[in-house]
Amino acid sequence: MNNVIETQGLTCRFGKTAAVDNLTLAVPEGSIYAFLGSNGAGKTTTIKMLMNILRPTSGKAGILGVDSTRISPRELAQIGYVSENQRLPEWMTVAQFIAYCRPMYPTWDDAFCKRLLAQFDLPLDRKLKSLSRGMKVKASLLTSLAYRPRLLVLDEPFTGLDPLVRDEFIRGMLELSGEGNWTVFISSHDIDEVERLADWVGIINSGSLKLAESASDLQTRFRRIECVVAESTRLPAAPPPSWLIPEIAGHTLRLVENNYQQGASEAQILSLFPGASQITVTPLSLRDIFVALARTFRITG
Amino acid sequence: MLNRTHMLPFQVQFKAGAPVSEQVVYAVKKAIITGGLQSGDKFPSVRILSQELRINPNTAHKVVAALVNEGLLAVNPGIGTIVANARPSTRQQRSELLGNEVERLVVEAKNLQLEFDDVVQAIKQHWNRLS
Repeated sequence: MNNVIETQGLTCRFGKTAAVDNLTLAVPEGSIYAFLGSNGAGKTTTIKMLMNILRPTSGKAGILGVDSTRISPRELAQIGYVSENQRLPEWMTVAQFIAYCRPMYPTWDDAFCKRLLAQFDLPLDRKLKSLSRGMKVKASLLTSLAYRPRLLVLDEPFTGLDPLVRDEFIRGMLELSGEGNWTVFISSHDIDEVERLADWVGIINSGSLKLAESASDLQTRFRRIECVVAESTRLPAAPPPSWLIPEIAGHTLRLVENNYQQGASEAQILSLFPGASQITVTPLSLRDIFVALARTFRITG
Repeated sequence: MLNRTHMLPFQVQFKAGAPVSEQVVYAVKKAIITGGLQSGDKFPSVRILSQELRINPNTAHKVVAALVNEGLLAVNPGIGTIVANARPSTRQQRSELLGNEVERLVVEAKNLQLEFDDVVQAIKQHWNRLS
């Protein structure tokens, strides 16, 4: 499979701080890639380098097979980009904004644009500056979808949107799902919104990539394990490295196993806690996986 | 609101962790058994499935492919995808639908240290209450 986005050792420093530190990332064509991280983890800086808005201090990024610093109108015409802090030409009406964007994209589809307009319920005669935040984001998405881009880059698109607009946004975005090799790279700290959409997940923390794998692998290997242990049982000094945030409260041992193997994981618990009983194993949501990892990063750095 | 939404002829209550495509396939089979979906009914397109359930289009595609493969859906050029089979042909297939639930019930029962007969008794009670 081809990668639509590829970075190698991508680094961006602001003074002494590395906002993005030696980031190596690959986004396979045809995927919806969720790029997750807490606020300030480096998501926006990464995306700005991909879009050639910021120059990398070192390392490089490729987008649609071209070095990001040499991105040309030809590539930009195949990329849709919607960002939380994007500046729009506020003095234009929605109609003027559409007319302004249209000539830049040879693949602009008028019929599709019209359909999106109706779907997003956007008033053509209103100036962008008079629109609500949700309306602005929809206008921005509309002008990024209407030319059926091969790659859609969304930087925290849901911030400040009410649930109804979020829903419209996702529906709109999925209008493109009929396209063959359509790829979405979406950064978010809002995991619930992307949980079932993403088939790839990357997690960034303090500027470096902590995890990148397919959503199904992730769901297979993470499990919450709980069991009942004897009175005043303590955790081993060095718990198995695949255990995240093991804790004992009362008679309950709870942990997140990040390499679950049916049978073997339970046996490992029994060998460390011979009296353990009532072992229950439950799958985790993407949010729970993220929280378990984030708590681990805080502890181990 | 002018927003176009499509009601799906089946309902999915997503649970964390289980593969999304399996959960949707299960919901469709259930609708076929309970009559919510019947032979000849139109089945939503991949795009609509994906939009309404907010699932990855590849997952939606997988769902349709799996159901076509099992003979529950048929693709008719020009018409789209329709429900092919009103219900799974055998009782065996129908009871397979219960697999996950039964496993969960047994796990819970064992955790509660119940006997087999206690479980059968509890099932009987609910069965009679609902019939």
